[in-house]
Amino acid sequence: MEVSSRRKFLVLSLSTLGALVAGVAAYPLFRYLSPQPTGGEKGRVNIPRAQVGAGQAHFFQFRGHPAVVLQSAPGVFAAFSAICTHLGCIIRWLPENGEFLCPCHAGRFAGDGKVLGGPPPKPLQAIPVALSGDNLLVG
Amino acid sequence: MGLGKKMADFIDARLGIRDILEQNLTKYLLPRNINAWYTLGAVLLTLFTVQIATGILLLIYYNPNTDEAFRSVQRIMNEVPFGWLIRTIHAVGSNIIVLALLLHMLSVLFMGSYKRPRELTWVAGFLLLLLSLGMCLTGYLLPWSQLSFWATTVATNSSQELPMIGDAAVRFLRGGAMVGQPTLGRFFALHVMGFPLLFGMLVLFHLFCVRRVGISRPPFGHDWQAPPPSTTFRHEEHPGGIPFFPHYVAKDAAIIAFFLALLLGVVFFAPGLFFPPAAFEPADPFVTPPGIKPEWYFLWAYQTLKLLPSEFLGLAVQGVAVTLLLLLPFLDRSPERRPSRRPLFVSAYVLGVALFVALSVWGHYS
Repeated sequence: MEVSSRRKFLVLSLSTLGALVAGVAAYPLFRYLSPQPTGGEKGRVNIPRAQVGAGQAHFFQFRGHPAVVLQSAPGVFAAFSAICTHLGCIIRWLPENGEFLCPCHAGRFAGDGKVLGGPPPKPLQAIPVALSGDNLLVG
Repeated sequence: MGLGKKMADFIDARLGIRDILEQNLTKYLLPRNINAWYTLGAVLLTLFTVQIATGILLLIYYNPNTDEAFRSVQRIMNEVPFGWLIRTIHAVGSNIIVLALLLHMLSVLFMGSYKRPRELTWVAGFLLLLLSLGMCLTGYLLPWSQLSFWATTVATNSSQELPMIGDAAVRFLRGGAMVGQPTLGRFFALHVMGFPLLFGMLVLFHLFCVRRVGISRPPFGHDWQAPPPSTTFRHEEHPGGIPFFPHYVAKDAAIIAFFLALLLGVVFFAPGLFFPPAAFEPADPFVTPPGIKPEWYFLWAYQTLKLLPSEFLGLAVQGVAVTLLLLLPFLDRSPERRPSRRPLFVSAYVLGVALFVALSVWGHYS
């Protein structure tokens, strides 16, 4: 066998072996660093109705993200993701104006989630909410 | 011309990389009779790289808080995918490193490679051994298990016998009267930042010494003779020797593969080897588990303290032994390195190793 082909064979064999070892090491590393399921990612959230007064908003964690439930008029509840659709800041509720404001770039949302002004490209993401006795079932 | 070659040419035209590589790889000649014991430095560099990588990964999930530390380690072991693998490699790796460090030191001692002009290489290497033991000791507390807590309590307590400053030394080491959150905080900081920074600088200095002075020729063979005494710097050349790359790199790779196989062998087939039952219980400051013992590499010191009539005497003997080893190149000044011509040294060497093994075995079974 010629020296150059022997060298090529060695380089190819060692490269293949190296790639195999790297692959075997990379898989556990990838799994180790991958986000862990936090549990309740498909579950519903139970909120006592008394926590959400008329014209008031209540912020809570929903499937790992901030969310808000609002009683815009007596007995009328709506829930949204609290993440602004512009650049991901968390909105706040302004009861005196009856609207949501994003403090980062002054995006404004109505009580039904629609964009009132500012840079947000789309409405807040709505989350189903239902009344069950004295509790609100979100999700 | 391929893109890779173009990029290599671009960099080479500006930094002369090919020349550096040539001088340090293919034109870097080693003695023809160099043996496998010389690979232990490369083995240790590899093992320390594994420790740093696994240590960084563990930091992602570990919580250095007495309320959370044990739970976070349990989570790594039981819930995080492959967390058990990362943690077991880190824990077993520390033991394999101490083994490789001891073998490295013993081979250097046997071949007299610590002698002039390599005194500074030896001192840096010996300090690296002490720092490694410091990293083992500080890392031992972090899982906050019964084993961690009580091993650290006993280890820090031994400083109490220091004359005049004993109590203050214990309080200083622990950051309080007892092992607690302040101890965990300072051990964590030392383990992940303080010691590794010092360690990195010392490794660079050690490698600089090795490269600058040149590899020592093994003191075997009929034509070996001590180099003539010199008061000026001289790089030890080995004309007609074997090139570092690919010849010695292949040997390095083979021995590194052996040690990695040993590490993974323990991780997969005897993962509990270094984890006694007390390692699986959370620390309880009110209940001392029976038969608590240090790691195998501290057993000789543990048994010495038990055998000697006072702890102070035990600490003094250990201190003298460590100081003698540290300063050995300045005490043993003869240029002779052939073991067959150093009967007194070889006898002391064999007795020392036998004493270390005997005290460790005795400590284990006592």
